[in-house]
Amino acid sequence: MNKNTDLAIVFFLLLGIPIFAQTDSQWVLEQSTLTYHVTHPLHQVDGVSHAARGKGVCHAGQCDFLIAVPVKTFDSGDSNRDLHMLQVTRGGQFPMVTVRTQLPESASGSATIHADLEIQFAGQTAKYNQVLFQQKSQGNEIRITGTIPATLTDFKIDPPSLLTVPVKNGMPVRVEMTWQRQK
Amino acid sequence: MNSKAPKFILGAWIIALLSLLSFPLGAQVADATLAGAVTDPESKVVPNAKIFIKNVVTLQSVETQTDSAGLYKLSNLVPGDYEVSVSAEGFGTNTTKVVIAAGTKQTLNLTLAGVLSLGDLGFSPAQTQGSAQDQARLNKRSHMLKIHQRLGLIDTAPLVATVILGAGAGGKSTSSTDRFAHLALGSVTGDLYFLSAYYAIRAPKIQGTETRGSIRLHKALAWIHGPGMILTPILGIMAFDQKSNGEKVHGIASAHGAVAIVTAAAYGASILSVSIKF
Repeated sequence: MNKNTDLAIVFFLLLGIPIFAQTDSQWVLEQSTLTYHVTHPLHQVDGVSHAARGKGVCHAGQCDFLIAVPVKTFDSGDSNRDLHMLQVTRGGQFPMVTVRTQLPESASGSATIHADLEIQFAGQTAKYNQVLFQQKSQGNEIRITGTIPATLTDFKIDPPSLLTVPVKNGMPVRVEMTWQRQK
Repeated sequence: MNSKAPKFILGAWIIALLSLLSFPLGAQVADATLAGAVTDPESKVVPNAKIFIKNVVTLQSVETQTDSAGLYKLSNLVPGDYEVSVSAEGFGTNTTKVVIAAGTKQTLNLTLAGVLSLGDLGFSPAQTQGSAQDQARLNKRSHMLKIHQRLGLIDTAPLVATVILGAGAGGKSTSSTDRFAHLALGSVTGDLYFLSAYYAIRAPKIQGTETRGSIRLHKALAWIHGPGMILTPILGIMAFDQKSNGEKVHGIASAHGAVAIVTAAAYGASILSVSIKF
């Protein structure tokens, strides 16, 4: 074997390293803001949490994601209301909200993604198909924004009420997340 | 050299070339079969698992599902290198590579990947595992605070009536009827107040909860109307006795009206502070 052949083999091996590395990559949730919105005829409530953690594991072009956030970390600016929300959402028994989804690895290159979400909350599991998210890529990071069209009845939650008037059923959750790719 | 030799060599090359060409043509016959079982990480069969097989060269793909016994079968496969992915609800996707040879019936058992867990995200079991007791504590707290709220709202009626009747019971009025009515309503107000306060004070506390928002004002005002609700009836009894003895209300008892007004005002503000939210 001559030197040229050796160099060629080394060259192709070096080329091969990133190709193999692409088949097993991970995504880690760096920052997040999740905001639920509840509407009552007398006022509006937003509860915010920055405590979500998430991970995505990719194999052969397919990525499995898990995002989770403790229910009690949502802050609406009033601890009494937050404890009431924790109670009606059965947060004592089911303290976490988890979201699972599968996405093709190639989705990281597009401006929008449509994700099928499986959400566990309040001891119930609800599925949301083709939820639209916007994404912006910056180097190794991707910022994702979107709204999950959740409702109270999806999770069999009795609506809290004020002056005997219950809040509306819709409870959209605004999602703002920054993911970082790790190899 | 024989003149036929070049023709012979050319013919041999053509035959060799055609032979070489014929191998890939032959390899494209879709007669291979891949079959097997799909199990979870605990070796239990998984029905309705999706099997996705992709030829890494042609990128052609086929998809199937496992039957009720967790078995799958993919027929009429073209020989070649494939990627096989298996996925199912509640599990992670697992992918493996397989080389399919022409005309073979190969077995490939697949195991589903375990899903990412909350532990993988760094959450401790203490954070992720709730309990019926914790939920019961929250339920009891909400239940008691609802009773507190209702009793507090109901109490506003006798409170207002007591304040209104207080004008006729005190001052220069000598009517004992007004005094007794004032006393009776004041007693009802006090009883309901302390009953309501009991449900607020005895409601279970939730550890690790920092008080935020209007509930802080609600609690702060309780430091005014709470002592006021104790002091007002004491001063009221003193004033009642003085009045019943035909005396003009004097001394500390003369503060009864002012203390009652401050108490009622703090009580009203306390209700308003939490009435604009659920």
